[in-house]
Formats: sequence, structure tokens, C-alpha cells
Amino acid sequence: MKSLEQIVNECKELAFDLHFTRAKEWKAEQEGRVVVGYMPIYFPREIIHAANGLAVGIMGGGDRKQIIKGDAYYQSYICHIPRSILELVLDGHTEHFDGYIFPSICDVIRNLSGIFKQQKIGKFVKYMDFPQNFLPEIGGVFYQQEMEHVLRYIKEINGVEVTPERLNHSIGLYNRNRQMIEFIYDIRQDFPWRLSIEDVYHIIRAGMVIPVEEHNALLEQVCAHIAKPIGVPQDKIKIVVSGAFCEQPAVGLIRAIEQAGCYVVDDDYMLGSRMIEGDIDTTTDRPLEAISTAYINQSRYSSCIYDVSNPKEFRLAKIVKDRGADGVIFASASFCDPSLLDAPIFQNAFNKMGIRYIAFQYSENINQFKVIKEQVGTFSDSIKLWEDEPVVTINA
Amino acid sequence: MSNTIYTMGVDVGGSYIKGVIMSYDRESGDHRIVDKQTEKIRKRNPKDVAAEMVELLLSRNNLNYEKDIAYMASTGEGEMVERKTGHFYSMTSHARGGRFFTPHANTIVDMGALYVRAIKVNEQGRVVDYKMTGQCASGSGQFIENISRYLGLAVEEVGAISLQADHPETPSGICAVLAETDVINLVSKGLSTPNIVKGINLSIANRIVKLLGSLRAESPIVLCGGMGMNVGMIQAVEELTAESSKTKFEFISSPDAIYSGAIGAALWGGYRYYILKEKEAAVVA
Repeated sequence: MKSLEQIVNECKELAFDLHFTRAKEWKAEQEGRVVVGYMPIYFPREIIHAANGLAVGIMGGGDRKQIIKGDAYYQSYICHIPRSILELVLDGHTEHFDGYIFPSICDVIRNLSGIFKQQKIGKFVKYMDFPQNFLPEIGGVFYQQEMEHVLRYIKEINGVEVTPERLNHSIGLYNRNRQMIEFIYDIRQDFPWRLSIEDVYHIIRAGMVIPVEEHNALLEQVCAHIAKPIGVPQDKIKIVVSGAFCEQPAVGLIRAIEQAGCYVVDDDYMLGSRMIEGDIDTTTDRPLEAISTAYINQSRYSSCIYDVSNPKEFRLAKIVKDRGADGVIFASASFCDPSLLDAPIFQNAFNKMGIRYIAFQYSENINQFKVIKEQVGTFSDSIKLWEDEPVVTINA
Repeated sequence: MSNTIYTMGVDVGGSYIKGVIMSYDRESGDHRIVDKQTEKIRKRNPKDVAAEMVELLLSRNNLNYEKDIAYMASTGEGEMVERKTGHFYSMTSHARGGRFFTPHANTIVDMGALYVRAIKVNEQGRVVDYKMTGQCASGSGQFIENISRYLGLAVEEVGAISLQADHPETPSGICAVLAETDVINLVSKGLSTPNIVKGINLSIANRIVKLLGSLRAESPIVLCGGMGMNVGMIQAVEELTAESSKTKFEFISSPDAIYSGAIGAALWGGYRYYILKEKEAAVVA
């Protein structure tokens, strides 16, 4: 078994390999394999896996890619991630990709799919609408049709017909993946010093760009390591980070939050990998329906899901309570409409519930965190030293 | 049985690392400095400097980290202190350190290597507001260090020499680069070293006075951080506030001003030690 340090270093390399080398190698290993890129937040990777494909998460170039071409397509008041995705694609980083999927997050990502079509990038471009109607016979059926549409695109490329057996097998692999990621979060809830949130981030993000079998093998080892009493605890507050689900903060920012006196015991950084809570049924002869049912009934709260019967502020409050967190950090990407529109809803509710929070904005390419560190540091101190007083700080 | 515990505070600043061991008595509130140490970082790895300092302080006092130190707290660039119990944000630490020197202080001015920050505290010692200098280095202790080097002075001499000035000339207060050029010009003009140094102190003091005004600072004001030991700076601040402010401010400093962050961290560490102990006891019960 590899050491935890070796695994983390390997994941660091994989997570920020902006040339997606492992996907390229994987495709070259066998005839008929397809590589499909998908944008944040969530996409049912199981269906690509069952069609002899690899779904690769394109999370942007972060602070590691200078944007020149991407800026030409977007106004200054648009968030950063579509620019860096375009930059990666136009610079040939994804030449080995067969198609691209744009899950419905916001108008910016929808427009990005339009640019891809206009530029004739890839063999197919699919803007994938996720249901906002949570009735299985309406939203559920619609979602299954969307998945079938994706499978037809792939069949046109490699001729693979997805059978229920193949799909159930793929769902099983991703179920295992989600179980182990959840195990890591459950361990960190009580023993967050065993693995930093920066390491967790690298480990999960690596899973976006490699086959699920390989990621599961890494996760098995990580879980074995952190099940043991390793590391030294420190006197830090426990917090939940919310709002950073699409454009990812720079790793330096993820690290800075823990350095400033917090343990992040839950977050939505790599929300796609944790979107489905619990297992998806692998015993049915209608696996697409099983995926759709899981999405309808087992999705985590998200700014791109508008389920009025299940208000997200209460769902986030439940996470805070279940994880034993002392407060919440609302971290929104600059100009991220879904996150910034949700933040006041959360904050108003939390004022009433007495949940402490702070809020700030970031951009994926910003790597100066002094102000944010100061804000998080004072937040941590105020909880540690003046626990009885409510704290509200908003730095819009 | 003694109620005293030992806590440590390590303050990693821009130029220096400061460390203290404190005895902390929760019952009586009688907290004392047991030992202290300052190290200039120079071009060394701050992590190594901090680790060596901790070892030095422990061995000098025959203390064992695991057995004898109830809480070790870092402040400033806390990630440079590997072995610690917790971290406190520098403003919280300096505010507490300032109150250690003067328990009834209402404002604490942390005058460090990279910036100056005026902090207003309430009766409980909690930070209620603050103002700090911008990015420019010409309002910082690092700038004084650079100037003293150009003038061939040890940084410890700057304060006393400044007191000898009779006709100080103030250089540019806007930019460190321009100010350094100004100093070269002042030397060429034949201005005496005390007058140049006093001019520099007045230039920085001018920024501090503006901070105090915008913060609506209240006396007593404790001057902390490395520059808090510069008697020339204290004189300059007093002179300028006397000239420009309607309110008469009372300034207080301490020979241990440079340790304010480390002291504050160690004291908060003692406070947290008991909070955590009580929480632990509640869980067991």
C-alpha cells in the first residue's frame, strides 16, 4: 500500500493535469473508447462508463492558465470559469475529447455550449437540462430522455449499445466511489486533522480525470490510512463551506481557510462527486430510471436545483447540525449568479436560526488571500473566544 | 495545589519571530512572562527559526513541551509554527497583548514590520474596530530598518538618535522608494543623522496619527509591535498628536512591546485551555 503522502502527491498531479494526460492514455489503450468532457456541477458519469467511455470533469484552469483567448468571448462582468475552459479548449488541451456536455447550471454555461457549437468543437456538444420538476412521471421521465440523448451521441461514435447489466455494473462502481468519499467526510467530521481539506480536495478532484476503477483503488487506500488515529489535533473551529460548487477556488484559498483557524468539515467544492447521497439501485432492469429516481430523491442541495418543497436553507442548516459545525463560510465566485442569489436566502434564514457565518467572493485565478485570511481568522477567533455572541460579517 | 499553568505564544512576523512562555493563573488573573526570545528571520526558513526558538525557550526553562505546556498558540504567519495547539489571528493577539501591558487600554496600535494597525477594543478586550495602513512600505518598521542600514545605524539605535534632533526634515510619506531617494538627498545636503532619523519617524507617525483620527481612538493608547520600542517614534507620535488633535491622547508603551502578539496569543491560549477542559469534562459527564 502506498503512503498517504504518496497518494496525495499523485492526486495533486492528476487533479491539475490541464492536458488530461491519463484520459488520453486510457483512450489510446483500446479501440472504441470515447472521452467526454463535462462542465460542473453534476453529470451521471455512470452512463458514459457503461458506453465504454470516460467522463472527464473540466473544472477550469484555475490560477494555472493565463487567459488570453477566453477573454475575447466574455464581458468583464461574467465569471471566470467559462473563459478558462475556452482557453484550455482553444489551446488544444482537450483535442482527444470526443464530446462535451454542459449541465444546466446557469446562462453562462448555456452560452458556453453555444460557443462550442459555433466553433465546431468536438463530435458532439450537448446542453443537458436537468429537471426542475421533481415528479418522477414528469421530471424523471424528462431526465431519462436527456440521458438517452447522450447515449445516442456516443453510440454514433463507437457503436456501443448500453445494456442494463453494463449500466448496473457502472452504477455499482460509482456507488462505491461515493461511499468512500462520504467515509472520508464522516471521518473528518470527528477527526479533521487526519487529512487536510486541501488533500481531500486533490483526492476528489483527481477522480474527475481518471477512470473510476483507478480512483476507487486510490480511495480504498486513503480510507484505510485515515481510519487509523493519525495526525495531531489542533484547537480550531469546525465550519461548512457553501457556494463554491462551480468555479473552483484556488487551492491556496482552500488551504488558507484551514490555516486561518478552521476545520472544513463539509463543503461543496467538488459537488458533482457527492451530488447523489447514498446508493443508486443496481438491481433494476431500468437503470436509467434508477439514476433519475436517485437524482430526484437523493440529490444534495445545490444552487441549480429549485425544489421549493425542500428549501435549501434548511438542508444546509441540517448539514451544519449533523456535522457539528460552529458556522458557515459562504464562498461565492465573483459574478456567480446562482451562488450570489442564494447567499441572502441562506443568510436571512441563518440570522433567524442563530447560525454564525461570514461571506466573501473569490475568483479561480486570484491567489492573494490576505484579506480572506483576516476575515476567516477573526471569524474563528470570535467563535473560540466569544462563543455566546452572534457574529455576522458580509464582505460582498 | 498551584493553579498556574504554562502557555507559549509564538508570533511570526514579517522580519522577526517572537516567542514567550507565560505563567497563567486563571483564578487570580496573575499572568506573568516567564521567558521571551526574539529572532530575526534573515534568509532562513521561518519554520526552522520558530522550531529552534521553541526548543531554546523550553530547554532554558527546563520545561517539556508535552508535559508542561498547557497550550502553545501561534499568531501572525501561524502556519510556520508546526507544533502548536491553536492559532489566533494577529489582531486578536495584539489587542490582548496590549491589554496585558495596560489593562484599561481602549486602543492598541500594532506597529509591525509590514504595516501599522490601530485597534479599538471594548471593556471586555474584544476588537470592535480597526484601521490599518495600506500596502506601501513607507509606513512600516521594515522601512525604518532599511533606512537605518543606509545610515549605518543598528535598528536599536534609531530611537535614541532621533531624540537628539533639532531641525528634522520629513521625507516623502507616500512611497518607500521615493522616501529612500529623499534620504540619500538629505545625506548629500549634509543634514545630521538625528534630523534625518527624526524626519523618518515623523513621516511614519503622521500616518499613525491619521489612523487614530479615522478610528476615533480613545485613550489610553498602547503602542505595541517592534516600533513600539522606538522611543523616537513614540516622541514623534506624541508631538504630532499634540499639534494636530483636539483631544489629548495618552500614549503608553512597554519595553516588551515587540512581544505583544506572542503574549496575547499565549494568554488566549490559557483561556482556551480551560474552555476546552470544561467542554471535555461536560462530554465525559
